[in-house]
Amino acid sequence: MANDVRPALEAPEIERRVLAFLQRELLEPGVTIGRDADLLSGEVLDSMGVLRLAAFVGEEFQIVMQPSDFVVENFRSVAVIAGYVGRAGAAHGPDQAGP
Amino acid sequence: MPGLLNRLVDDAALRHPDAPAIRCEGETLTYEQLARRANGLARVLVQTGLSRGDRVAVWLGKGLHVPVSFYGVLAAGGTLVPIDPKSPVDQVVRILRATGATHLVSEPNRREVIGQALAACPEVAHVIGVVPDETMPVPCIAWATVLEQASDRPPDTHVIELDPAYILHTSGSTGLPKLILHTHYSATSFVDWAASEYALRSDDRLTNHSSHHTCFATFDYYAAARAGATTVILTPAVLMMPGSLSALLERERVSVWYSVPAALVQLSLRGDLEARDLRSLRWVLFAGETFPGKHLRRIRQQLPGARLSHVYGSTEVNVCTYYHLPQTGDPVGALPIGRACATARTLVADAALQPVPDGEVGELFVRGSTVMVGYWGDPDRNREVLVRRPAVGGLDEVYFKTGDRARVLADGNLAFVARADRQVKVRGHRVELDEVEAALLSLASVEEAAVFTVPDGEGSSALRAAVVVGGDVAPAERDMLADLRRTLPPYALPSQIAVVDTMPRTPTGKVDVRALGGRLGERMADDGE
Repeated sequence: MANDVRPALEAPEIERRVLAFLQRELLEPGVTIGRDADLLSGEVLDSMGVLRLAAFVGEEFQIVMQPSDFVVENFRSVAVIAGYVGRAGAAHGPDQAGP
Repeated sequence: MPGLLNRLVDDAALRHPDAPAIRCEGETLTYEQLARRANGLARVLVQTGLSRGDRVAVWLGKGLHVPVSFYGVLAAGGTLVPIDPKSPVDQVVRILRATGATHLVSEPNRREVIGQALAACPEVAHVIGVVPDETMPVPCIAWATVLEQASDRPPDTHVIELDPAYILHTSGSTGLPKLILHTHYSATSFVDWAASEYALRSDDRLTNHSSHHTCFATFDYYAAARAGATTVILTPAVLMMPGSLSALLERERVSVWYSVPAALVQLSLRGDLEARDLRSLRWVLFAGETFPGKHLRRIRQQLPGARLSHVYGSTEVNVCTYYHLPQTGDPVGALPIGRACATARTLVADAALQPVPDGEVGELFVRGSTVMVGYWGDPDRNREVLVRRPAVGGLDEVYFKTGDRARVLADGNLAFVARADRQVKVRGHRVELDEVEAALLSLASVEEAAVFTVPDGEGSSALRAAVVVGGDVAPAERDMLADLRRTLPPYALPSQIAVVDTMPRTPTGKVDVRALGGRLGERMADDGE
């Protein structure tokens, strides 16, 4: 990513990027989902897909993920992920995410 | 009637009617409720014409209906055919047709695919668990109707313990999977051994981690019922999020765990175990793959109160050997698979079924009460794997040919060497793929590894490897190869090491080498163009 993510992204932009990644990399062709769709039902993604999604979120939004971040409450849906990214960005701050 | 699998829950309901049998997402079924619901389903099945031995397929996602269905089918005298909840409809059709199932137990959200499947399966005459309507080609009975029939009494059947109990299927991704038939006797033999060896108690809490169509579920459900203990069903959301999983283990005070090593490795790496109080956990059982030593050492530090047990077997034999890790001292090298269970006799032999001397590698054969009857509808394969060996009195003993190579160690434990079909030839050299994987896993940065062969275009094979690495920066391929050169001969070095985000796995959690090869093969082909 040439553009640094700071200042913090707005939630709609985070959701757009996560949805685009899901559509591009993880969902079957022709399948579309909404921002509130349950990503962890086992029907949308398999466990491998969820790990890839988590890796994408960490990389794309420069979040240093802690073990305590790998919980349902942070990954249940695209909207929930955006909330998590917002919180993690605020909590970790630029100095931790920096080089 | 000793030895009937469905009696386990009836007996537990008599002894501990109010004890929790099943927990799932905060909901509970007591043993009395479980037995009553199972009897209700059994009555419905018998009323709809089920005869002893008829196959009943169960196609359900994880939830409370799963154990109700299992015990209900068995109480009706049916042969249970659990189907992988993630099976595509073609796979479901193949299993329904091959087993000749007359009934299907499922749930409303599968209605559409059930309709598609039934169009190709005329033998299925009834569907349970779906509200009836004119779009379904056969009569349907909703779960609500089944529960109205809940009863203290199962229907009268005349099932003996040598009758079929269930048919499990392997994960064959194309074509017909292997269909593995167990009797009440072979299942309860394993269940009794496990309940005794791990001293399961009514206050124990087990989990159902693996999918319920695998042999892991035999332990998770039936061994728990044998002890009047609780089975906590782990749903996909929790299984995908290691932090949520460890929180659940703490909250539910889980005391006995059973899975493939990969699930424990995920939990150890990303489950925030240090933040949890997991003192309830007293046994951790694992099977199915090798446990990389560095992960094993870490998880022992994270779970100091738990004893670890390496169990070995395949769906065909349940469990046939076991090795409890010593409570002190770190394991060095590969873990042994241990000694034969009280239910089994093992034989390390050559192709003529003659035992090889201790210390030498041979193929492992198993005889015992937990061994399957055979593969359903596959007499050729049965002749191949259920081999007769002359014994005293002019009688034969039947051994199951495991397809694994093993040797007897100096201390009497068995060591797994490799799958017989995992020894390959690379330009004239014999290479054990498992040894190459072990060498990769010993590298500090490598979390998971898989090694397989591809044709080298010159009549021989080339080794390919795929690894999942920890940390943010993937090590360079040439650095990994330089490290491998210290432990592997040149011909055993992979010609390519691909770094992948995740390892494709089968429903039990083993590496799906075929899927991996396909994925990398395409990528390599693309890269080359």
